[in-house]
Amino acid sequence: MVLLRGSGEFTGHGYDFSVVMDGSGDGGVPRGKLLMDFGAAVVGGDADSLAACRDGVRRALGEEALADAAGVAAIFNAVVRVADATGIPLEDAKAAASEKVRAEIGIDAFADGKA
Amino acid sequence: MRTELTEAQDRAWARLAAPGTWWTGAERVAIAAEARQALLCRLCAERAQALTANAVSGTHDSLGVLDPVVVEAVHRIRTDSGRLSRRWLDDLLGQGLAVECYVELVGVIATVIAIDTFALALGRPPRALPRPQPGVPSQRRPVGARNDRAWVPTLAPEDVGPDDPPLYAGLAGMNIHRALSLVPAEVIGFFDLDAAMYLPDRQLRDYGTEYRALTHAQIELLAARLSALNRCVY
Repeated sequence: MVLLRGSGEFTGHGYDFSVVMDGSGDGGVPRGKLLMDFGAAVVGGDADSLAACRDGVRRALGEEALADAAGVAAIFNAVVRVADATGIPLEDAKAAASEKVRAEIGIDAFADGKA
Repeated sequence: MRTELTEAQDRAWARLAAPGTWWTGAERVAIAAEARQALLCRLCAERAQALTANAVSGTHDSLGVLDPVVVEAVHRIRTDSGRLSRRWLDDLLGQGLAVECYVELVGVIATVIAIDTFALALGRPPRALPRPQPGVPSQRRPVGARNDRAWVPTLAPEDVGPDDPPLYAGLAGMNIHRALSLVPAEVIGFFDLDAAMYLPDRQLRDYGTEYRALTHAQIELLAARLSALNRCVY
């Protein structure tokens, strides 16, 4: 989220972070919804949906972009396990910088339900 | 496809089969196999539907190779990591799982998830697990590792000693880099894969240059969505 905001500040785009939670739009990022749908399909477990999303990314962005999107989805599907399983916290500075947006879009609620 | 994507996965697969720091090559491959098996586990499926994992008791559908406490760790990390807690980990450690072994296990699972997810995303079959390589674990724990910010001891960049491998080379030493640092080889291995699949650290904030077929914004939006889908607080 911090890096997405940094990218937006560099390019002068104000991205809508709320779409990260429900995948409802592109958030101001070109082909953003297509990519988020692809990410959701990768972890969603529906083979037909994933095939359709894969074809969509390939047609819209090309084969290289599809491989790069697969890489990003893959490593983030893994790195969240590293964070979750070790209990490593977000850096204080990052937490402070993202406090408002995290509260607004509901990320902090993920801390509930741990047992 | 970028050759580094394939080469990094080849390196990770070779590393998976080799003796680690606390597990043998055979044990590391067994952990990888169990991580795949977790997706077929009925107990894990039932727990995923429950309000809390503790609400459902039972026995994991395991491959029968690893100790039950290891199986519990592998299955929960693979299928329900967003609801793990320090209390859960402390319970595993209390049952005899050494924290060093646990950290290496996390690294193995994360590696398998990354490579399996990549194949799935592209519509390819999962790679066959590698043949375990002989040898004994080095069992070297970083002298400077200490309990501070995570559930497990970590090695701060400033505490890396002359006998430790250069685990933070090319990395900013952020908390996520420190997460596996009790087992430096896992940091080096996992972030080698991370640099190929995502971006090397030095390119993360170089917004003026695009290094991939996706822009920085597209990469970060997809990454943030994946974190949200996995209910990751980090």
